Amino acid sequence: MSIGGSDLDKAIGQLRACRPIPENQVRELCYKARELLIEEGNVVGVDAPVTICGDIHGQFHDLMELFRVGGDVPDTNYLFMGDFVDRGFYSLESFLLLLCLKVRYPDRITLIRGNHESRQITTVYGFYDECLRKYGSANVWRYCCEVFDYLALGALVTGATTSLSPTDGPLADNTNIDSLPDSDADIEIETLNANGEIMYRYARNSDSQSSAASQANSNPASSSPVAPTPTRTGPAGTGASGSANGSKGNDTGAILCVHGGLSPLIDTIDKIRLLDRKQEVPHEGAMCDLLWSDPDEIDGWGLSPRGAGFLFGADIVKCFNHRNDLSLIARAHQLVMEGFKEMFDSTIVTVWSAPNYCYRCGNVAAILELGEDGSNAGFVRRSNGDQGGGNGGWVLGSNVGNGNNGGQGGNGNRRLSSVLGDSMRPREGPGRRYRVFEAAPQDSRGMPAKKPVADYFL
Amino acid sequence: MSAPEIPNLKSIFANRRGAPSRGRGRGRAHAGASSERAEEVRDTAVRSTDQDAAGSRVSCVELGYLDDPYAQLFATQASTRRLPLLNRGTYVRTSAIDLLVDRFLQTTPDAPKQIVSLGAGTDTRYFRLKDHYPNINLRYHEIDFATNTAAKLARVNTNKQLYTRAYPDSPPDVFKLDTRPTTHYSSSYNLHALDLRSLATASDDAPPPTLPNLDPSIPTLILSEMCLTYLQATTVSSILHTFLDTYIPAPTPISLVLYEPILPNDAFGRTMISNLASRNIHLPTLTAYPELEDQRQRLKGYGFIHGFKAADTRLIWREWVTGEEKERVAGLEMLDEMEELDLLLKHYCVAWGWRDGGDGVFTRAWAAVLEQEGA
Ligand SMILES: C[S@@+](CC[C@H](N)C(=O)[O-])C[C@H]1O[C@@H](n2cnc3c(N)ncnc32)[C@H](O)[C@@H]1O
Repeated sequence: MSIGGSDLDKAIGQLRACRPIPENQVRELCYKARELLIEEGNVVGVDAPVTICGDIHGQFHDLMELFRVGGDVPDTNYLFMGDFVDRGFYSLESFLLLLCLKVRYPDRITLIRGNHESRQITTVYGFYDECLRKYGSANVWRYCCEVFDYLALGALVTGATTSLSPTDGPLADNTNIDSLPDSDADIEIETLNANGEIMYRYARNSDSQSSAASQANSNPASSSPVAPTPTRTGPAGTGASGSANGSKGNDTGAILCVHGGLSPLIDTIDKIRLLDRKQEVPHEGAMCDLLWSDPDEIDGWGLSPRGAGFLFGADIVKCFNHRNDLSLIARAHQLVMEGFKEMFDSTIVTVWSAPNYCYRCGNVAAILELGEDGSNAGFVRRSNGDQGGGNGGWVLGSNVGNGNNGGQGGNGNRRLSSVLGDSMRPREGPGRRYRVFEAAPQDSRGMPAKKPVADYFL
Repeated sequence: MSAPEIPNLKSIFANRRGAPSRGRGRGRAHAGASSERAEEVRDTAVRSTDQDAAGSRVSCVELGYLDDPYAQLFATQASTRRLPLLNRGTYVRTSAIDLLVDRFLQTTPDAPKQIVSLGAGTDTRYFRLKDHYPNINLRYHEIDFATNTAAKLARVNTNKQLYTRAYPDSPPDVFKLDTRPTTHYSSSYNLHALDLRSLATASDDAPPPTLPNLDPSIPTLILSEMCLTYLQATTVSSILHTFLDTYIPAPTPISLVLYEPILPNDAFGRTMISNLASRNIHLPTLTAYPELEDQRQRLKGYGFIHGFKAADTRLIWREWVTGEEKERVAGLEMLDEMEELDLLLKHYCVAWGWRDGGDGVFTRAWAAVLEQEGA
């Protein structure tokens, strides 16, 4: 039995209903996927517009919510930064659906590897057990692990615009119209809720710090629990669908997407390209670090409490971005209660796409849309030497007020400029549209849903 | 930009132990029979939490977090393997209470002492202490619902390791064994089958139930490890007044060690409340004492006036566990859940308070135990 054309569409339909496909189809699918992935480099080139997503962790119903909020494939281009499996109850359906979509629309969807796409980790965190339970043998788990070995380690997004065309969606409930920048302003960041309503918006080179702080209070993500009636008001995923939106600004530096972060063994993107990735994630070394590391408010490199990868500070990110002509690193890997978190003068962002993670954490999720540069200028450095962002890390959410990030980021900055002088001015970041969403009500879609029982200490 | 000064952290990337887990299924907490009275359903749910605790202990023992030869003897859940972050949390919980208990027992070690474990369930602490301090003059009491004490005794009476420790005075009476006893009394180990709420209804004309062998004159540590949190705050308050005024009146030194959840009002806390509610589990003191400072004030309010302290388990992991031990524990399993672990540990606390007397045994025992600054 071969999986192609209509079979593939059938499999997609079945998986969209959260029903697993037969084992022989999985084998076929995984074979096709590997043929496709083997052609991809360690760092896949991706053109904007694209919507960047973080960890999914088998939360299938929330993945469906993500597609509802961000737009469906193939209308929206997606880049998933790994951790498709483990923890949630539907790792299998989630991963296989993404894989089917990859095989069906290879240019529309990019999958890169997370630290959970590994034999060792999946035996501890649930995917192995799930396969065993659903198929009665470990075969499907084995097929999937073989695909894991072929997933790219990173992606490089080019052609993103620096300035968003503002959405003309309505304002979210708590948003004050006066707090939004003028309509002719150069929009750097816009955050929308799951209904496409504007939660906040920042103009580039505005007094971003104070506007972030004052608008943080209106962030419904941190105050409202579950949105009761999710009715869309605008077309889904306009920012990344190549439609009229997001086509007004100039080109920005490239955006590196990677699951975890940087490695002390990697100072250029070309060095990532040279790695031999077709293997189980090793316990150490560059490949391991890319999938395991975390940014942190430290100078230089530090030990990771995870026992794999490293912690890296603002100075490391700024050096790396400068050296590789990047305007931003997008990564996943860490739970962020507000769904996303920009750090180090917006030189790195964490995107987290698993709402109410493990059915326990109560967090919201986010996806990041990068618009297309209208001039299609490709990879051209922008002459405007002005530096974007404020002078500290931004946490666009409930914990904005604590000032920690700002202070630390500022220090990092000072340290850097004294070492590197003015030549270290970061590239102007891409315009960033975040869509924030909450966990999907599990019983609402006629899909099978196991009632989640989260563990606590009793 | 390579960094030769980076230490090789991979030395602590330890081997994963054990075979792949077989899922973490568990029995549902309640049958949901609609004819049952709501309160009975809740009590059943609360009683069943003991096997959650027992299973978590076994998971920790099997992976090397805890050394407890007795845990396995009491666990009935089919699958006990827990996620690494839960193992870490159980480790912190158990070792934090062990630390407070050890400091108490080691202060004037020859003097007689008493421990009362409320809602002890299948806790193994008594048996572990017996091994650790073979010659100690310790009177240990456990209180739980009769269903739970009966199950525990059934196990104790049929296991040599257990009954030799539970019957210091005489071996178990074979005639009694098949009658499924719910209580057990001896000079060192006592099991009381009681609904704790019956200690709260006591008034002057209706004295509280007698607890055989409870000595009103020796320093007493009351332990509530995830127990009083299931009761209404006013009930808890009356229960403690019974202990402080009636069972163990001043000037006998008495203390309380609590382990329970805090921070009900953030996203994690709200989710915890609603998830547990779907298992019919309610935690009234979580909402009554949301912050560490509320926990301290509550201890003081009960009459533990000489000390009232609290720390969340995140601080306890950081500050109470030695560097060497932290490294050992961190090396037991890959832990890829740092942010979640942080959240989880922040939402549980240990609170300890005491009313001293005589030679100030609790003040001396816990002088060096670090509490958390601020709220
Ligand atoms: C979560 S278990 C904790 C067991 C043990 N303390 C531990 O930490 O391993 C809670 C225990 O408290 C007991 N409990 C709760 N309410 C009680 C009450 N009103 N009277 C007696 N026992 C109670 C339950 O039966 C159960 O055994």
